[in-house]
Amino acid sequence: MASEVKLPRLGQGMESGTVNKWLKSEGDQVAKGEPLFEVDTDKVTQEVESDFDGVLLKIVLSSGEAPVGQTIAWIGQAGEEVAEANVSAPEPKAAEPEPRPVQAKPVEDPMPTSSANGRIKASPLARRLARERGIDLHALQGTGPEGRIVARDVEGAQARPAAPAAPVPSGEVESISLTNIRKTIARRLTAAWQAPVFQLTVSADMSRANDLVAKARELSPDVRVTVTDVLAKVCAQALMRHRDVNVQYSDDALLRFPTANVGIAVAAPQGLVVPVLRSVERQSLAEVAAARGEVVSKARDNKLTTQDLEDGTFTISNLGMFGVEQFVAVINPPQAAILAVGATVDAPVARDGQVVVRPMLTMTLTVDHRAVDGAAGADFLRTVKQFVEDPALAL
Amino acid sequence: MPEVTYREAVRDALGAAMRSDDRVFIMGEDIAEMGGSMGVTQGLLDEFGPERVRNTPISEMAIVGAGIGAAMAGMRPVVEIMYEDFLTLSLEQIVNQAAKHRYMSGGQLTVPLTIRTQGGAGWSPGAQHAQQLEAWLVHIPGLKVAYPSTPEDVRGLLWTAIYDDNPVVLFEHRLLYPVKGEVPDELEPIPFGKARVVREGTDVTVIAIGPLVHRALDAANQAEAEGISVEIVDPRTLQPLDEDTLVESVKKTNRAVVAHEAVTRMGFGAEVTAVLQHRAFDWLDAPIERVGAKFAPLAFAPVMEQYVVPHAGDVLAAIKRTVGK
Amino acid sequence: MGEDTLREFLRDMLLIRRFEEKVEERFRAGDLPGFLHVAIGQEAVAVGVSHAMEDDDIFASTHRAHGHTLARGTHPNAVMAELYGKVEGCSHGYGGSMHLYDIERGNYGANAVIGGGLPAVTGAGLAFKMRNEPRVAVAFFGDGATNIGTFHESLNLAQLWQTKTLFVCENNHWAESTPGWQHSPVWDDMSKRALAFDMHSLKVDGQDVEAVYAAAQEALDHARSGRGPVFLDVETYRMHGHYIGDPQVYRSKEDRQDAADHDPIVRLRERLGLSDEEFDELDRQAHETVDAALAFAQNGTDPAPEDALKNVYA
Repeated sequence: MASEVKLPRLGQGMESGTVNKWLKSEGDQVAKGEPLFEVDTDKVTQEVESDFDGVLLKIVLSSGEAPVGQTIAWIGQAGEEVAEANVSAPEPKAAEPEPRPVQAKPVEDPMPTSSANGRIKASPLARRLARERGIDLHALQGTGPEGRIVARDVEGAQARPAAPAAPVPSGEVESISLTNIRKTIARRLTAAWQAPVFQLTVSADMSRANDLVAKARELSPDVRVTVTDVLAKVCAQALMRHRDVNVQYSDDALLRFPTANVGIAVAAPQGLVVPVLRSVERQSLAEVAAARGEVVSKARDNKLTTQDLEDGTFTISNLGMFGVEQFVAVINPPQAAILAVGATVDAPVARDGQVVVRPMLTMTLTVDHRAVDGAAGADFLRTVKQFVEDPALAL
Repeated sequence: MPEVTYREAVRDALGAAMRSDDRVFIMGEDIAEMGGSMGVTQGLLDEFGPERVRNTPISEMAIVGAGIGAAMAGMRPVVEIMYEDFLTLSLEQIVNQAAKHRYMSGGQLTVPLTIRTQGGAGWSPGAQHAQQLEAWLVHIPGLKVAYPSTPEDVRGLLWTAIYDDNPVVLFEHRLLYPVKGEVPDELEPIPFGKARVVREGTDVTVIAIGPLVHRALDAANQAEAEGISVEIVDPRTLQPLDEDTLVESVKKTNRAVVAHEAVTRMGFGAEVTAVLQHRAFDWLDAPIERVGAKFAPLAFAPVMEQYVVPHAGDVLAAIKRTVGK
Repeated sequence: MGEDTLREFLRDMLLIRRFEEKVEERFRAGDLPGFLHVAIGQEAVAVGVSHAMEDDDIFASTHRAHGHTLARGTHPNAVMAELYGKVEGCSHGYGGSMHLYDIERGNYGANAVIGGGLPAVTGAGLAFKMRNEPRVAVAFFGDGATNIGTFHESLNLAQLWQTKTLFVCENNHWAESTPGWQHSPVWDDMSKRALAFDMHSLKVDGQDVEAVYAAAQEALDHARSGRGPVFLDVETYRMHGHYIGDPQVYRSKEDRQDAADHDPIVRLRERLGLSDEEFDELDRQAHETVDAALAFAQNGTDPAPEDALKNVYA
């Protein structure tokens, strides 16, 4: 009896995935654990391994989107017949991962205008108006029956003050279809925008941190320690000291986490991803650097797994390498705080009544005010500054 | 302008045509001394005599078929099928013969026959005396189909039907006969394929035929009190269909309701809906709503009959759905 | 009846016979599309009645219409071209074998629905009566049609209104594959059908063209003069199957032989006492005409596909 290969649920909240390509062809011998196909979820592109030994008898879905649990292929004995009737309906419960008590339910902002599969519900007229006026329907809330975006919603969007139109260079507008990751980024950041946040900015003297980085590189030449690693480490330590910042807001409870899982925002080719370094407070700087190096290169190679992206409690976004001195990051829901890190620049500062030049780093913390009060956030940031200026305190 | 009933308007057109043209004559069951089961042909026997106002046996096939033969032989007969339920008996003659002689002969023949019939619920006649079957005939190439809703329209369209060189089935509605309306002093033919904008509005277009034109007017007045501006368009002839006027109206209002007393499923409204979604797709701001009878035969018990057929309230509810209220 | 007239009848009957034999041949060869029915054995009915009709009379035929159409004078070229679906056909390719029309020669249509044309012939006869015109509308139909509603409704209405109509019942004793005795209680005397409507009826041997002609003339005079419609009960034989290719599994050898023994052409030839040479010469002419018709049809013009959308409405 042939076995059904079903589209697996690769993470909580995953309702559907898009089969990108098959790594085996029909008729190929497949071993259990061998990479079988590639799935594009709303978070990552991931290789999925075979659960069965046998011959790939039939590929039901060669590419395209399918709900979790849908049969997408059959594996069995060579020559075995696969009846069409065997193509079973999805069983959404089948691939549910085991419960994780500490895992917060992702607070997905309900989007009345789009259904579960991300399709926007809009009238033909609304679509035409949006097309003609260059309005993104994703950004609109439908007020029609069943949350449908209707013409008045598009017209309302038009009425809002728009950004001054940039001069349009001549040539065709290129339309790039949205990847699942791009859609997810858009949806999550739009949701983030609806959270009430506040920002706090401090500058830190990086003299000692830079010394530490130099020393660490000497000690562990095969692991390239960076300022980001130092920041991840000190933030984790600060979070353990300020547990009221290592939290998430949900509708029915405030979730406080026992460990600091620090996400690092990475500009990967496919878009922004945030792989997570786990329990950073328990790791040495070299261990942090090694783990960070691994996930970043996986991100650049589009090889991150769902597990690499889950369970973050805090995020660091560093644009220092681009020469950005200071910026404000958008929180990464459902996390409550994100630290935006600029470039270290030599700046005149006053020390003991003297103006001296020091390597200074400006950091801006964006905080979900529903979860964290201003003073708590400020206290946390003060600790981060202390630790950065004197890393020994954090060790 | 004089005010006449729908019934008088039909009679007026028949009388005027027979008065001016020897080729025109009428036949049907009980149309002579009795004046028709709905009283439409009262008085015509006295004026035109039994040769031209012919009472027939109960023979729907022969009534229509004799009309076909007389029409092919140069007359312009108007035959009456007492109830459109009985039209089913003559469908072979209408569908296979009247609709196809011109075609099968390669254009040698014409069949200038007019078939008048009536139906409609609202008086508890039961399942075999009140059906609305206009959609069946719109499906047949070679036939023209009219369904006038007012005295002026029925007078003008019946005249046009008599002088059309094709077989025309003209539907009247039982409850419309006493409805009064102004008509021009002189009989004015109304061309086929010209819809009438019954009422102008800006928020939603109701495309209604027969009695639903009047029920839509009631609904529109109620909607207006709630701030919804309703346009009503009556196609008047279902084949040919004035698609342009319907599409133009919907492009203006961006919403549409189609309404008839016939069963919704596969009703004429389904065709109109298809036309609108195709020609006005990018102008639609809401799904097109359909109003028609529920999918059941017409029961005798008045409460059941009334439950099945559509009323002004159904049109109003559909209007509100399109605007999301 | 003069010999010249009878020779003319024979010429027409031979033309119809050879025409239908050729149609059978071309159909079997896969040359002809559609659904075809021949009336081999019934030529005397078509020729006898048609010759009795006046130029202004009209008629409606059945699915077995080649004979009626040819007998009324439609050119064999136009009939064969119609069977080939050509523009030059008598229905310009819109009708086919079962829907031969020729309005100029009073052919108001061959009808493929049994009994489908009877009400129209009644109505046309009504029009002639209402306008006091000396014209008659003639309906050809078979014994099988006497069981359908249109037959009864039409005869009733025609008699009631005294329309100028002639009902020609070609009783070949077969309704497709069903023998008369299985489909009608009066199968061996169809004139009894007319009794129910109090309609004047005549009975005639359909294999005797002279008799058919005489009876049709009497019937047409009756109807033309306003004395009411007539039911002409014609006993005849269908020598072949219901349709071309019909294996006639339902029919005994004896019955087929009986039909063959009643060939109206043989009978007329004997009546005229023709020598083999004389007959062969007439037959050769018929073959020649049919061969010419076939060549004409095969070289005819195909309609443009989009012409299918013409003639739907006047």
